[in-house]
Amino acid sequence: MHTLKGTKYAIFFGLLPALIIYLGIAVVPIGMSAYYSFFNWDGIRPLSYVGLENFTEIFKDSIFWLSVKNNAYILLSGLLGQIPVGLLLALILNRKMKGAGFFRTIGFLPVVISSVMVSLIWSTVYNTEYGLLNSILGAVGLDSWQQNWLGDTAWSMLSISVAYIWQNCGFFMVIFLAALQNIPNEVNEAAELDGASGLRKVMRITIPMIRGTILVAVVFSISNSFRVFDLIQIMTGGGPAHATEVMTVYMYSNAFVNMRFGYGSAVSVLILLFSLIVVSVVNRLGKEKEA
Amino acid sequence: MEKKSGLFRTAVYVFLGLFAIINIFPIFWMIVNSFKTEQEYSGNPFSFPKSLQFSNYSKAWEVANMNTYFVNSIIITFASLIVTVLLGALAAYFLSRFQFKLRGFTYGLFLLGMLVPIHATLIPIFMIMKQLHLLDTHLSLILPYTAFHLSLTIFILEGFMRGFPKDLEESGVMDGAGVFRIFWSIILPITRPALATVIILNFIYNWNEFLFALVLISSSALKTLPLGLANFVGIETASLTLQMAALTIALVPILIFYLLLQKQLVNGMTAGSVKG
Repeated sequence: MHTLKGTKYAIFFGLLPALIIYLGIAVVPIGMSAYYSFFNWDGIRPLSYVGLENFTEIFKDSIFWLSVKNNAYILLSGLLGQIPVGLLLALILNRKMKGAGFFRTIGFLPVVISSVMVSLIWSTVYNTEYGLLNSILGAVGLDSWQQNWLGDTAWSMLSISVAYIWQNCGFFMVIFLAALQNIPNEVNEAAELDGASGLRKVMRITIPMIRGTILVAVVFSISNSFRVFDLIQIMTGGGPAHATEVMTVYMYSNAFVNMRFGYGSAVSVLILLFSLIVVSVVNRLGKEKEA
Repeated sequence: MEKKSGLFRTAVYVFLGLFAIINIFPIFWMIVNSFKTEQEYSGNPFSFPKSLQFSNYSKAWEVANMNTYFVNSIIITFASLIVTVLLGALAAYFLSRFQFKLRGFTYGLFLLGMLVPIHATLIPIFMIMKQLHLLDTHLSLILPYTAFHLSLTIFILEGFMRGFPKDLEESGVMDGAGVFRIFWSIILPITRPALATVIILNFIYNWNEFLFALVLISSSALKTLPLGLANFVGIETASLTLQMAALTIALVPILIFYLLLQKQLVNGMTAGSVKG
């Protein structure tokens, strides 16, 4: 490390440009969102202060609660779909086996494709008349199982969750693979000497060894679930009849379609709040168990 | 025992095979159908095309404005990437190699950005860009892309630079080089592996971004590839084969990019996540 003399200015000017852009565009706006949430505002006319009115309206808004429910649906499908499948893939592909590299490459592919592409590809899969899914069902004689996957309120959330799980399994696979590779070889050898093998070894040795990473993955999965937007905005726009509405889509349509910027800001404050609460609760639960 | 492990291996491969099919088949099916005529597709969505309709591609390229979208995506992706990596590396250098009063605080502040959901900043950023008269310009995307990716960039680079031995800069100091000179000629060159990771991650994020583009860009001459595509598919609902051709065009570059750089990419993804 340098001694400080003369470098003080260099440090200042070296950090300044990054700090200005970062603070101005990523940090200050959070405060601004909180501020806007107390106003009734269409983005053009002057702001008019309404206190907590936006929030009281939101709490009485059944569509908002529908969107919270759907966020919970997405959250659970991430936890129950992406993490177990990602973990299973990582456990399998961490062993020396033919084709491991090939399957890893394919597993991670959906993560790299933009979520816009993922949404559009799955829209063609779910297309009622000519989509892949209904065509397969028709081809094997299960015509009666064909559905309007995205347009039917009974199926739309499930259809979206499948695409959501598809998109992100690879991400968790890679995180778990990295953790598995960090387990020292001696641990595995010792376990085998003690006669542990197969499922027993996985449950008793391997999974406890990567506990920390599993917790990180759970937190990741939860905060991702609050950010879901592209997938739903493109596939259904929150419809049919708000059946696939989530908080981000609701915020977007309130602010940028209905021009209710104050109301939209209040929703975005709640998104931030909910996600911080859930993440910190999970973090605390994880830490407690460890102790 | 032998028999059981053979059975087990078969089960594993069946599972992996199924997984691979589910991951690949929608994409494969889309590419195959992008070469068909509309009648052929509606007649049998599973057959291979009788003759390859390259005209779908030229038409999609034309009708969907792919030319414009590609150019915009390239400009915005690379401009934000260069700014992010330069400013991020500079900040990481000072944070990792120097000791000063607000070091810990500044570093923590930057890391906080990884937790912030961009949705909570969307409305204010729209307003800021409006007031700066930057709405609907390339800069309105370059600035947020830079701001939101500085965190991960600094996190990865700081961790890497901190690991260098302490006397690394000494020869530079002996030669009378200043701090910026040392950064440019000594630190940056040996940070290359981490720089590669950061560049790839930034490329993928910027290239794929949709929400900011949706809110901040309105004229079709400035749309990026994801925004343009989403828009095109929303309007051009009549021809599914044309849609599939447009999607395939957009898919090919990222596919090539991924296959060339997957090793580096996967290392980068894990570098950022596991340490924390």
